[in-house]
Amino acid sequence: MSFFDTLRQKAASVKFLERLTDSSEPLSRDQKFRLLHKLPQEEYIVDDTNADISVIQPGRRVRNTNGSSEGPNANNATYVYSGRLYLTPHYLVFKDSFDTTSCSFTISLSTVRKVERAASSSYATSLSLTLHCQTRIAIQFIGLRNRTELFCQQLKKALLENVPNTKRLLPFLDTCYSEYLISKNVLNKSDARPPPSGLGQKYKYPGELSKEKPKLKLWFDYFQDQGRNLTLVKKSLFYKLIRVGIPNRLRGEIWEVCSGSMYSRFANPEEYRTLLESNAGKESRAIEEIEKDLNRSLPEYAAYQDETGISRLRNVLTAYSWKNPDVGYCQAMNILVAGLLIFMTEEQAFWCLVSICDNYVPGYYSRTMYGTLLDQKVFESFVEQKMPVMWDHIVEHDIQLSVVSLPWFLSLFFTAMPLPFAFRIMDLFLLNGPNALFQVALGVLKVNGEELLEVDDDGMFIAILKSYFHTLEQSAHPDSTDPRIKQITKFQELLVVSFKEFSSISVQMVEQQRARFSKDIQHNIESFAKRTQLRNLPQVRNLTQDQLSNIYDLFYHCIESHKISMGTGSSCLDFEAFIQFLSSFCDWCKPGTSDHIPRFRKQKRDFLKRVFLQWDRASAGELTLSDVAIGLDRLLSPDIMSTMNSFFAFFTEPGVDETSGEGILQISEALLFLTDAWKSGRIVDQLTKQSIIDDIADTIIEENSSQGIAISDLELPTGVTIDEEKYKQEQAERYLRAASSFLQRSFEYARASESKEEIDLLDLSDDEGHTSEHKKKKWESLKANAALNPEKRSVMNVATFRMIILADETYETFFAQTLRNSIHVDEKVANLDGRENGLRNMFDGLLADGKRVASQVRRRVDSVATRTSASSGSALETSENQDEIDDFSTGHTYEHDDLLKNDLISMDDDDKEQDQSEPQRKKLENFSFTEHLDARDDSFVEFEA
Amino acid sequence: MNSPVTSIKLVLLGEAAVGKSSIVLRFVSNDFSENKEPTIGAAFLTQRVNMGDHTIKFEIWDTAGQERFASLAPMYYRNAQAALVVYDVTKPQSFIKARHWVKELHEQASKDIVIALVGNKLDMIEAGAERKVAREEAENLAQEENLLFFETSAKTGDNVNEVFLGIGQKIPLKTAQNQAQNGGRGSSGLRVNDDSRVDLRSGNQSTSAGGCNC
Repeated sequence: MSFFDTLRQKAASVKFLERLTDSSEPLSRDQKFRLLHKLPQEEYIVDDTNADISVIQPGRRVRNTNGSSEGPNANNATYVYSGRLYLTPHYLVFKDSFDTTSCSFTISLSTVRKVERAASSSYATSLSLTLHCQTRIAIQFIGLRNRTELFCQQLKKALLENVPNTKRLLPFLDTCYSEYLISKNVLNKSDARPPPSGLGQKYKYPGELSKEKPKLKLWFDYFQDQGRNLTLVKKSLFYKLIRVGIPNRLRGEIWEVCSGSMYSRFANPEEYRTLLESNAGKESRAIEEIEKDLNRSLPEYAAYQDETGISRLRNVLTAYSWKNPDVGYCQAMNILVAGLLIFMTEEQAFWCLVSICDNYVPGYYSRTMYGTLLDQKVFESFVEQKMPVMWDHIVEHDIQLSVVSLPWFLSLFFTAMPLPFAFRIMDLFLLNGPNALFQVALGVLKVNGEELLEVDDDGMFIAILKSYFHTLEQSAHPDSTDPRIKQITKFQELLVVSFKEFSSISVQMVEQQRARFSKDIQHNIESFAKRTQLRNLPQVRNLTQDQLSNIYDLFYHCIESHKISMGTGSSCLDFEAFIQFLSSFCDWCKPGTSDHIPRFRKQKRDFLKRVFLQWDRASAGELTLSDVAIGLDRLLSPDIMSTMNSFFAFFTEPGVDETSGEGILQISEALLFLTDAWKSGRIVDQLTKQSIIDDIADTIIEENSSQGIAISDLELPTGVTIDEEKYKQEQAERYLRAASSFLQRSFEYARASESKEEIDLLDLSDDEGHTSEHKKKKWESLKANAALNPEKRSVMNVATFRMIILADETYETFFAQTLRNSIHVDEKVANLDGRENGLRNMFDGLLADGKRVASQVRRRVDSVATRTSASSGSALETSENQDEIDDFSTGHTYEHDDLLKNDLISMDDDDKEQDQSEPQRKKLENFSFTEHLDARDDSFVEFEA
Repeated sequence: MNSPVTSIKLVLLGEAAVGKSSIVLRFVSNDFSENKEPTIGAAFLTQRVNMGDHTIKFEIWDTAGQERFASLAPMYYRNAQAALVVYDVTKPQSFIKARHWVKELHEQASKDIVIALVGNKLDMIEAGAERKVAREEAENLAQEENLLFFETSAKTGDNVNEVFLGIGQKIPLKTAQNQAQNGGRGSSGLRVNDDSRVDLRSGNQSTSAGGCNC
């Protein structure tokens, strides 16, 4: 029915992780306060209190006293408003408690000229603030005296801290049209010039109306009475003046006040210029896109047909793209800014744009446009609530409302309505907030309801509304005989319908609905982004779509800063994130106890750096999803030859297929690192596993050979404990042996570039008498000898490397399957919470399942060609078997040397509780994928079933 | 007026500023404008074409080309029977983008959607600009993916109408009429309105052409 359902349906198959908490976190009090009062980021509530406020106008209202005594007795000409007074580092903010539109202000502390303790009739503390514009604010505090005193002290402190800022005040006021009005008409400065303003100053305002002068006069009066710009007090008249339409010359300034962008501009006087200067000449995607659109922004307005308008537009859009690189540039911003620039200078338009993007329509112009999509959903929900008949019609005829309304919201009606009307909507939007967009959009549907209900597709909706928008200036009641009614234009009618009938749509309501749908939208976008990215990945051979999907999840899981749906942050892995990425699903990269050993850490980083550099195809210093997919694809080849080749390639220069003696050492270091998890017994490899199965099978057969049980009756014992230390020992020994023979063989078979000098290469693998500690030392010295001997310069090519690997069963198995099985691309992010595939788990898994062993037993029994098929041998006694199973480990005594115990063994006991379940089964399944052990394939099938 | 009118929902996709809107403007109004405002969201236009024994009414959805608008595209190509995937013959990047769009359409749009690959701005080559997308390359893609293929110039009008005629011919009228009989509100399919206009709405947000068994 709607676009979102379509998206959702398509994305239904894709489950995505929940990673979007920050957007749904409730706002702090300070954040809410800033949003409500449109204050810059650096403001927060220092203190707040209840207070009664009265605004005392300078001179004008007290002329009956001849202006001589405009003291406290002027009070009787003023109203008193009760409300809450807030102090922030740079502002004094007041909001009346009646309806918040009776009296509110945001007064810059820099404008305060004088503070006096006012004579007060009551016991309460009173202050009188004289502002730069001569207005006086009388504050009568309500509450405990010591609280009040504290507030006064804070105020005093803040005022002192703001003293340096007062220097900026006068130059700033020179940029305000309101000040020009005052100096020209009150101070009678004949040389007063209007401050620099928007393009309208020179190129005329679109649809300029004749009522400009009387409107200006009303505002002039208001400014005199209630202050202006940084001292403006907003009373109900202020709202009324905006509703009737702001005069063009003042529009820029009022927009600044309403949007709060004036406060940002005052606080950051250099930022706009600096942004442009420090980025001058730089290039970016955004700049490219901006250039494409400069000639396409309100092209009908004269200023945008020559360089004057174009260059301003370029500057503002460019500056914003540098200020907020995550957003960069989005089409529609060009039209919005082109509109702003008619009434504002570049700097003013820039800050206004910032305020709109941050506070009014967050996410509208982001890379994923999630804000736009979200508000479409919100709009649909409002239509459903407020216009049920229309909604039924839309649902019944499967009309996609967003297709119709999205451009209205995205361009803030600039592309929908003729400009003069769009500016009026902008007035109300900036004054009231984002709810105004919804109110107007609902109003449009309402006013055209009858016609819309007669058509049944979105194309016709668009056609009807397009012609409606182009007749907004016409009478809404052309046939009326009452001239006053006839006078009402369609636009006026729209405003009445929008803001009267839909007055209940408040900012809070919009926020609520946005919060309600935000998760859905983000989910949809993430699914969409994922699908698109996966579709556009380069071709890979060894990875399935599911695996790519997992890699995608893992990849973005590691880019903490990146919010896919928000379109922010980098979408590439740097080296540190890359390590984290690999460690989330590669057994050999998972953090282990070995990480405490400096040498191991170095091995790890050295090797991972090589991988990183090789995968970084663009040499960008970071990896894209494609880089990672291609890299993993190579590593996961089922063909042992290409896996070995890929591994070897980490150590060679591109185009060179051999490596020097130094390279050989690095390869052996890398292999030590890679195999550490097995050496330390954290994981078991296929060889160990096989030997365990064999042992168990042997034992069982031995046990039962005399009794001659039928295979079908064979049951695996439960609760067996196995001497895991033994297998760990064996495996550790095996890997150490493999490492040393690798090094030994490497230097043996490496082609010497000079005459070979005999070095003492001990065959360590046969050296039974020594402890591993000893071996390790020897190995060290061997390595040192071979590498550091300047006489010996040998090179190894890939063929030699492969030969050496294949010569050792452990390493051969490693490249044939162990490595591949240790990279868990089959698992979803959620399952990869650091579970270890240790021996203990494997035993538990084996014993819990049993089929594997059983089939091995069966094979053994078959091969022995059992002769007796006895009748009904009873099932094995559990207790008895336990002893027996324990038994088979006896007789083998292995010396446990300290090194192995301390460094290489890292079995986590708590692991055994976690598993038994899915992940473990998966791991076991992985094990069964072995080309080597074809003969047993049947049994594996059985196991999987 | 006697000839039956078939409506075809057609969507234009392609990178920003390759001339999607200009192709539409040329087709609908036989006009050209150097500085067209970028399309925000999408624009909707219609144009009737006489195909001899019947008339086709093209309902054209002209979409925004900027990368970030891509996530909005599904709501425009939903239920579309035809798509123009446009690229700029002087901009190789735009051809890569076109490949992506073709892929996406095949994956996500109606199964029997007719897609035309359109290389625009041929006039720029005639004016001396270097061609960056070889005709053969585009033809290969068209062949692999079973697309119609045209090179056009919206500026001169060269080959523009042929694109739409080609699409009109490739969408079988029969199918449309058959569907019109079978298709109801509940199932996806085509429906004849009172004014014998074919309606493409489907009852549910189905993206597959479920009603079409051809």
